[in-house]
Amino acid sequence: MTGSEVFGETAPPMAPSSAPQLSVVAPLYNEQECAALLIDAVRQALDTQAASWELILVDDGSADRTAQIVAAAAAADPRIRLLRMRRNFGQTQAMQAGFDAARGDVLVGMDGDLQNDPRDIPLLVAKLAEGYDLVAGYRVRRQDALLSRRVPSWVANRLIRWITRVPIRDNGCSLKAYRRETTERMHLYADMHRFLPALAAATAGARICEVPVRHHPRRHGASKYGASRILKLLADLLTLGLISWFREQPLRLFGFAAASALVIALPFALGTALTWRGADGAAGYPYVFPTAALVWLLLAGYLLLLGLVAEVALRRARDAGREPLPIVVERVP
Amino acid sequence: MSVVGVGGAEVPVDVREAVDVSVIVPVDAPSDSLVALYREFSAPLREAGLRFEFVFAAYAWLREHTQPVEALARDGEPIRLYEVGHGVGESTLLKLAAERCRGRVLITLPTYRQVEAGALPLLVKQVEEGCDVVVARRFPRVDSIVNRLQSWVLHRIVNPVSGGGIHDVACGVRALRPEVLGELPLYGDFARFLPLLALREGWRVQELPATVHPKAMAARLYGPGVYLRRLIDVMGLLFLLRFTEKPLRFFGLIGSAALLPGLVILAVVFVQRLAGQGIAERPLLLLGVLLTTLGVQAIALGLVGEMIVHLQAPRRRSYRLRGADAPPRPPTRE
Repeated sequence: MTGSEVFGETAPPMAPSSAPQLSVVAPLYNEQECAALLIDAVRQALDTQAASWELILVDDGSADRTAQIVAAAAAADPRIRLLRMRRNFGQTQAMQAGFDAARGDVLVGMDGDLQNDPRDIPLLVAKLAEGYDLVAGYRVRRQDALLSRRVPSWVANRLIRWITRVPIRDNGCSLKAYRRETTERMHLYADMHRFLPALAAATAGARICEVPVRHHPRRHGASKYGASRILKLLADLLTLGLISWFREQPLRLFGFAAASALVIALPFALGTALTWRGADGAAGYPYVFPTAALVWLLLAGYLLLLGLVAEVALRRARDAGREPLPIVVERVP
Repeated sequence: MSVVGVGGAEVPVDVREAVDVSVIVPVDAPSDSLVALYREFSAPLREAGLRFEFVFAAYAWLREHTQPVEALARDGEPIRLYEVGHGVGESTLLKLAAERCRGRVLITLPTYRQVEAGALPLLVKQVEEGCDVVVARRFPRVDSIVNRLQSWVLHRIVNPVSGGGIHDVACGVRALRPEVLGELPLYGDFARFLPLLALREGWRVQELPATVHPKAMAARLYGPGVYLRRLIDVMGLLFLLRFTEKPLRFFGLIGSAALLPGLVILAVVFVQRLAGQGIAERPLLLLGVLLTTLGVQAIALGLVGEMIVHLQAPRRRSYRLRGADAPPRPPTRE
């Protein structure tokens, strides 16, 4: 593969010769057994390729010897780079740190635990060159426990697909290739690395596709995921829905909610009208219906005002020019 | 906001190296004798052979109390005094003073006595040995049981979030590298929790046992207003530490705690209505309506929070890299 093939049809001008064409980013957290194996595997997989590459390993505050092992490798091979986080900031932040440091025009993110296979990297990069902005791997024969990992993952993927309409089967697979324009438009925070394709589609307007990749069982170390995270996932999904559909018109979402509150207020208002006994009331009149109607009205007003606050926030961000617009590809000149 | 300096004009940054230690004293309340404070706490620094300066940052309306310090400065003591107009908190005083410090190590010193002065050189030493923040820990606690009880309650609340590594968050005597302050969200009363904020940024924070000051032995009790303020501060801190990037997780938790019972109540009432029971006189219906609307409000508020976080994301990074003193900046595109 030559350099221009890596960039594909919308090739930007060649980067300065010092910058590699391909940047591979992998976060590591307490992976002292895997680190050296990972470096070797990446080297073997990429040395057969013509494109120049760098491997950015992000040590996410490991307590073991991960950083030392990577530092030794980096000293021996300038293509290996080590970033060290001051403490454990989590996978999303580690990934973002790697993206921020990457110099290549094509970026590949992968897990640091060797469950992804670096031999799949050239496949993803080749697919990217066909004209995509993000190529996600999906794990074909997933080597994880069925009940604790695969079933929740299946449900979560279904929900994500249903909410965002981005047709990705496997959001949990870290092995993905990105065009630089995509990563520069995505900003990862909280736990957003789990929803990367959806986020890329929503904020970068990325053209996305999926290719099957290999998946290996964990050879070393323990899985770093906890089990009970359903509430968090639900909150994140709600956010994802907001970002996917209403990031440019929050007032619509809140206006719709306010209208629903008004509709709910109606039967209570009707009940009030039917039981009304004059403005002065009468001894023993319970006031349940009028009060309930007023509470729903109050909610409607409150939601409308909140929608306006969201519009103000959006407007301010737009005015400050912080929000990059999505990628535009000219198809017909 | 204007800062007026007395005793030494604005300090160019390149003379930072001229001083080993800058002691920052934020003066946010009337204080009996700042001169005595200066004499007491400068003595051990002088004995240790450290070049030091004291930087007082005080509200302008406290002039009466800061005047003696100004006199000392004019007599040639290494003191600078800055006056700040109204409307800022203690944390801002601290930050404004820190920006004008020359020392390689900063010490924050409250105007009230907490630990004996001898701790200061030890704190400095530990920072120079490579630690980013060193907090004096009043240990052993020999002061009144009342004070210890209050401290216990505070740490009960704070520890689950902070990880429990800090045993005396409330001790205001701390030494730190100047770079640390630059990144911390220091406003309002958050300076009180400086070690926890520093831990969150990934700085190395350690403790140093220090003897309780003889003047701090007596029981300290405050008015209810003070405790209410502290409680609000702690709640603000917990939110800041855990939910600034994911407000919906916080508001969603509160919201669903109200929304779910509310919906259950409404469903029950609805079924009873279908069964022919009158509902116009039932307060239960009102309770259901109130809980439901409260829940929806909380969740909606959380969504607005998420929206703001999302819009902020392009210009801030919350990870911190080792060996970098400034926070990382998102790459700027041509």
